[in-house]
Amino acid sequence: MFPYMRGASFTMKLHCFDKKFFNSSPLLVPVQLPCRTETHFWYVLPDEVKSEALLSKYRELLPQSEEKKVDSMCGDELRKGALLARALVRTTIARYQINTEVSPRSLEFTTNIHGKPEVRWQHSDDWLPPPLHFNISHTSSLVACGVTMDSPIGIDVEEKQRAIKNNVLSFVRRYFSGHEVEHLSSILDPEVQRQEFLKLWTLKEAYVKALGRGFSASPFNTFTIRFGPAKEGSFHLSGKSNSEESEILVKSLDSSTHDTSTWQFALLELAGSHYASICRRKDIAPEGKASVPMKLKVWKTIPLVEDKIVSGTDSAVIIGGLS
Amino acid sequence: MASLLSTSPALSATLAYTAAPRCSMKQVNSFSTVLRASIQGGLRLVPKIHISKAATRTSPLSQRFRTRISCSIAQPETLAIVQNTIAKQLSIEESTVAPGTKFADLGADSLDTVEIMMALEEKFGVSIGEGGAENIATVQDAADLIEKVKSAAA
Repeated sequence: MFPYMRGASFTMKLHCFDKKFFNSSPLLVPVQLPCRTETHFWYVLPDEVKSEALLSKYRELLPQSEEKKVDSMCGDELRKGALLARALVRTTIARYQINTEVSPRSLEFTTNIHGKPEVRWQHSDDWLPPPLHFNISHTSSLVACGVTMDSPIGIDVEEKQRAIKNNVLSFVRRYFSGHEVEHLSSILDPEVQRQEFLKLWTLKEAYVKALGRGFSASPFNTFTIRFGPAKEGSFHLSGKSNSEESEILVKSLDSSTHDTSTWQFALLELAGSHYASICRRKDIAPEGKASVPMKLKVWKTIPLVEDKIVSGTDSAVIIGGLS
Repeated sequence: MASLLSTSPALSATLAYTAAPRCSMKQVNSFSTVLRASIQGGLRLVPKIHISKAATRTSPLSQRFRTRISCSIAQPETLAIVQNTIAKQLSIEESTVAPGTKFADLGADSLDTVEIMMALEEKFGVSIGEGGAENIATVQDAADLIEKVKSAAA
């Protein structure tokens, strides 16, 4: 009942909004950049974006090349999702008010050598671009963007109800690490097993995306993610959280790679319908003290229209990590 | 998450095309030792080797087609099975899974892609490896990759 009512009020708001919208430049309410220990997480629910006029405004924010990519998606829903993803990342980054030159439309994007998207800032002699990092993930029913300062970030979202077409244990034996296979094999209830698999998948995805080196550089069976016991004082987010929340740890299984203790995770249940994982570097306090836990701010948003902080509410329940 | 997939042009195999099916089977077999070596070193090497091998063929027909690029090597049956597998995984109509269609455009995220790879490995009794999935952009690429790996295993 509530989701339906929320949808109705958003539609009404948008109808009133349309008239103003055509006569003015897009509304971009500024947002403060996250501090080094903070992670920002923005998400849109495509079902709540119904106004054709608003979708046209999103299109106007895109350069031709991106518009073409959106239009090459097969089907209306996929096109809408792709459009929302581009609109979300462009408006969000522009709202951080990096400088007066930056607008959603003026932002340029590129990819690193492994294909990870990043902002291509306009360099000039008297301006250094900020160390702003972002990462996008989406499903057909949720589009998300994570933002950090001075830390690579990877996020992944999956629908909780998502069906796994292959046999879960066969899949996990083929692609995950030995410890993870053991852990999932020990879960006897198939539904719980499927859910635990999905949570683990999103965490592994988020980690590989944070590393930014591509799927093949960090095969899923070369690292293990597991839940450790809850640390005392391990989260700084007031409000609701699952009482069984525990630390999330990653361990590399081959000697060649990176120090895995520098990465931290958060696992959330979003909008009651999705698992979302976030992975970023820990911010090491300069005096060599123990690293500061991740602070997380979550917004539900409709780009150019409104947003609502949902961290600490039922829409963003922490189910693991943050340490 | 679809963003993981390569957006650069796919590595397509270049293969000198001859009209007679028998000739192309011979070519595939003679390539198989080359393919086996190149797969160990990484699939990146394969297109280069195909070009030089084609240059040594003496048949006038193959020489005429020597410089042809982006020629698919998947057998029609292979492509059909690949299309069917992808359609089932993504719960879409097979008609939308045209050979030239990109995985990303079909809305396949990374979990879909890996599920598809696993289903294909099981169907064809081959092993693709993580590097394979990353270089696949289109449905045709997936079918070509299966064909390559099948030949190497033959």
